[in-house]
Amino acid sequence: MSFDFDAYVTAALFDRSGRTMFALGDGSVRAVAGGGFVTVEAHKGAVLSACAHPSGAGILTGGDDGRVVWTRIEGEEIAASIVAEVKGRWIDAVAASPESGLIAFAAGRDLRVVDSKDPAFERVFTHEKSVSDVAFDPKGRRIATATYGGAALWYARIADQKPVFLKWAGAHSLVAWSPDGKFLMSAMQENSLHGWTVPDGKNMRMGGYPSKVKSLAFLSGGVMLATSGANGAVIWPFSGATGPMGKEAAEIGFDQSALVVRVAGTPKLPVLAAGLDDGRVWVADLKSGKMDTLKAEKGAAISALAITADGRRIAWGDEDGGAGVIEVE
Amino acid sequence: MSEAASPSKTPVTVLTGYLGAGKTTLLNRILTEDHGKRYAVIVNEFGEVGIDNDLVVGADEEVFEMNNGCVCCTVRGDLIRVVSGLMKRKGGFDAIVVETTGLADPGPVAQTFFVDDDVRAKTRLDSVTTVVDAKHLPLRLADSKEAVEQIAFADQILLNKTDLVSPEELAAVEAQIRRINPLAPIHKTQRSAVPLDAILGRGGFDLDRIVDLEPQFLNPAHGEHGHVHDESCDHDHHHHDHDHHHHDHGHDHVAEAGIRGISLTAEKPLDGIRVTNWLNNLLQEKGPDILRAKGILDVKGDNRRLVFQAVHMILEGDYQRDWKDGERRYSRMVFIGRDLDEAALKAGFEACVA
Repeated sequence: MSFDFDAYVTAALFDRSGRTMFALGDGSVRAVAGGGFVTVEAHKGAVLSACAHPSGAGILTGGDDGRVVWTRIEGEEIAASIVAEVKGRWIDAVAASPESGLIAFAAGRDLRVVDSKDPAFERVFTHEKSVSDVAFDPKGRRIATATYGGAALWYARIADQKPVFLKWAGAHSLVAWSPDGKFLMSAMQENSLHGWTVPDGKNMRMGGYPSKVKSLAFLSGGVMLATSGANGAVIWPFSGATGPMGKEAAEIGFDQSALVVRVAGTPKLPVLAAGLDDGRVWVADLKSGKMDTLKAEKGAAISALAITADGRRIAWGDEDGGAGVIEVE
Repeated sequence: MSEAASPSKTPVTVLTGYLGAGKTTLLNRILTEDHGKRYAVIVNEFGEVGIDNDLVVGADEEVFEMNNGCVCCTVRGDLIRVVSGLMKRKGGFDAIVVETTGLADPGPVAQTFFVDDDVRAKTRLDSVTTVVDAKHLPLRLADSKEAVEQIAFADQILLNKTDLVSPEELAAVEAQIRRINPLAPIHKTQRSAVPLDAILGRGGFDLDRIVDLEPQFLNPAHGEHGHVHDESCDHDHHHHDHDHHHHDHGHDHVAEAGIRGISLTAEKPLDGIRVTNWLNNLLQEKGPDILRAKGILDVKGDNRRLVFQAVHMILEGDYQRDWKDGERRYSRMVFIGRDLDEAALKAGFEACVA
């Protein structure tokens, strides 16, 4: 199934029911329904960020209109409601935790936290520099933010606190927790990955990338971390107490003519999907080594990629508005 | 290497100048004039306002230094963030205008458009345009090194509020600008009134647009305030060296800041490899002090013009068109920078003659 949305695809996501949803640069959210899709104008400008809603139904989007919006299918209809609004700010990142029901988002220098089950709850944690990404730890109690000079760790519910600041010079643009919560990984403005052990904050410097890392995914129960930013997908081994320290990364699906720009992995299984800057998409079983090109047709760079937990379906979107859902054989 | 100005890349104009010079007036004109274009304007305060077709977004100036400590990789994080966001918007923009504060160093702003791959893939830096006002410039040059740097960095200068000064004062201000930046065209304006197509679409970093380099070390008539005695001075006065030493009342603020333009020429063809190595080494070593450089070179054994432009350490060069019949075929380059050793530059350049 493929679509032509005519606007940058910011995110492709599956909600818990397995429904595919796309969030776009024209502010709309599209939910696949039947053989087509239904549309809602969720934002006035562009969607900048998105994640699955903690309830499991539908997705949350952050826009350049300062809004965080929840879009889901209710009955036969598509519905959208405003979860939070910060006037004059861009919502550059949004994350949610099904475990705690909390929603966190970045608005300028602030990390803001709201509760999907308690409209009265709100926390605002201010940083010295802009927050470029937010991520919940596996229990949904702690939030990591990516900012200039390192990553900050905040307890999601405590109003007055000093965060733990994991320092590393340079600008950090993405953060991701390992599924056991023992490692926090960050992608940087320069062509490099960085990691810290939690709580002791030991540094792991993971360089050697030919381009910026824009996408990170733990898979296979957390024994592997896959990243974009090279001519193949880069796989770091995370088994053992010290994670990737002293170990070498592997690069799979190497292709001199293209860069991997998006990765998506199954949490429990060793299945990895990759989107390339020439529009192609492949999937690989890292255990059997079997690799399939799911989308061979070249086009605009892939800008969004998702895989279902069972590894059977992949959703992709590109910079020009091309999008699709592919069944994996 | 040069990247042709692809029409799909959104041009970006960086607007610098100290507070009160007239930047806001110019911005308002860009936003309100009936030009039929769709602009995005990034201003230095938070808050977003849409005016008709245009979009105004606020951004905090956030300078990102890299972990490797290289000053020439220093970029503006806020611009990367905002430009990436703007590129997601449907329909895109005809141009992006970035307003900086009066205290901003234009280096990281310009470098953002060369260093960051994502920004570079979608946009091209069109020009750094600096607004100064004729009345207050001498004072600003005295108390702000940023004011000097903004002029040094400029592809063009709006010399505003010319109605507030006498012709003599205006000439002196122009001479001061010329000493810092001999390349940038000066648009003399009142209330920032200048045709927008003179401001936007300059191609200031486009190698194909390096047509000629005519450094203008503008020189008021002999005897006037700010007159510079140099080799073009045709009256017979006491012997002087070619230091471009100028006679000014009191002390010279521009000279104190140490920023000026230096022009080098060679009539004989250059050795291509030698001049490339020399430029590379020079920018490696002196990159932090060299704000801008441009050149058109005559390389032995090639009938095409070798052109280059540099921002600090970032050098872009390529062969351009053929030399034309009857065209004066010679090499020339201009460096604008801080504490530049003219004699050493000259010697290094001359050693590149084939």
